[in-house]
Amino acid sequence: MTAEVVQAINRRRLPGDEGVWFFIVADTMMFAVLFSVFIFSRNNAVELFEQGRMTLSVSVGFFNTLILLSSSALVALAVVAAREGSLRETQRYLQAGIAIGALFGVSKLYEYSDKVSAGYAINTNEFYMYYFALTGIHFFHYLAGMIILIVCLVKLKRLSGPDHAGYQVWLESAGCYWHMVDLLWIVLFPMIYLLQVTV
Amino acid sequence: MSKSSHFKQLYFCAWAGPFFISTFLVFWAFMGDFLPPLPGAAPIEEITAYFRDNTNTVRWGMAVSMTFCITYLVWALAISRIMDFCLGEVDSILSRIQTWGAAFTVVSIYLNCGMILGAAYRPEALDGTMLRLAYDLGWVFLDLGFFPTTLQMCAMGVAFLADPRQPKLIPKWLSWYGIWVGLMFFAVLLMPFFKSGPFDRAGLLNYWIEFGIWYIWCAVLSVYVLKAVKRLESESSPA
Repeated sequence: MTAEVVQAINRRRLPGDEGVWFFIVADTMMFAVLFSVFIFSRNNAVELFEQGRMTLSVSVGFFNTLILLSSSALVALAVVAAREGSLRETQRYLQAGIAIGALFGVSKLYEYSDKVSAGYAINTNEFYMYYFALTGIHFFHYLAGMIILIVCLVKLKRLSGPDHAGYQVWLESAGCYWHMVDLLWIVLFPMIYLLQVTV
Repeated sequence: MSKSSHFKQLYFCAWAGPFFISTFLVFWAFMGDFLPPLPGAAPIEEITAYFRDNTNTVRWGMAVSMTFCITYLVWALAISRIMDFCLGEVDSILSRIQTWGAAFTVVSIYLNCGMILGAAYRPEALDGTMLRLAYDLGWVFLDLGFFPTTLQMCAMGVAFLADPRQPKLIPKWLSWYGIWVGLMFFAVLLMPFFKSGPFDRAGLLNYWIEFGIWYIWCAVLSVYVLKAVKRLESESSPA
């Protein structure tokens, strides 16, 4: 690939495929609606939501935030490495991003099993409905993101020849999606785990 | 088969989309009084009144919806053909998945209408719990039968994105929108746990958003399917 082509790719206004951005914007808007519904419901039952919040572990939530931020940063570094044409570095960062990202799944499953064994379920009360539903929908997005990153890694290993512009678009798109998963959690964490009653 | 009769059939199938959308809105949504449906927490008296006070409207709505919901599958046949043009294959696996997905979507609609129509057949002879069961079952079949539609939408999104034409037969944003809508249906898995709130069958997410985005997708795609058929016809005709 010539230097002009690389520069042309890097000059693009949006990283990744523009169609993926449509997906990301639509998904983010859907979450914005759900977040608004949560806040509205919380305002109508502040005490119940506060009691529910007290049963959650802030440290586990914070740990999850750190995991996702670290994983996102590593995937961003993988994208930068791919832009610079360093496929070896790309692979290394991508593997690290996936490995750290996998910790989120372990941590979330631990958290869910802890809550279930403590007798909490999706239909326990309104707080737990939102807790399980919102974090569950987010977890589904997380799983999809992990699969996409693994596909990127497999595609990278199969890459042959110097022309990898198509792969770069793939990786950038995956990176954008992964950042969305991260961003959604950054809103979810303070909203569910940290938001306290102000007297 | 001649090219002209092939495209005539393709147009017929493509027009089945707008026909389905219109009949679904009028007969299923309006006459069936599903804008929105009764929530899971609706009192038994309200469900009984739904069947006993609007018996003939519900009967007409469900009977006509059952008759014409097959047009969704006919529309899907046009989509499959366009998918094959996008992929450069004949009878591709993706187009088969799409067709079968549409067929099972039709089955879900049949079951939904059939349950409601069965209860509306002699509502005066059934007690409230039976009427409620029929109503609940109708919505369980419709909502929880989402996965064939998800497969259908994802399969067509992938095929449309693989189209090497510039511009593509179906725009990229619409392909991604379809994939998103299909995956959004997974939220319906929460429906059996709630009788009120956003995840209830009549709730903000599981009714207004899910059905709204699906309906918009149907309407917009039907326009692009007609455009795609027109373009394919002009491409195939000698200059």
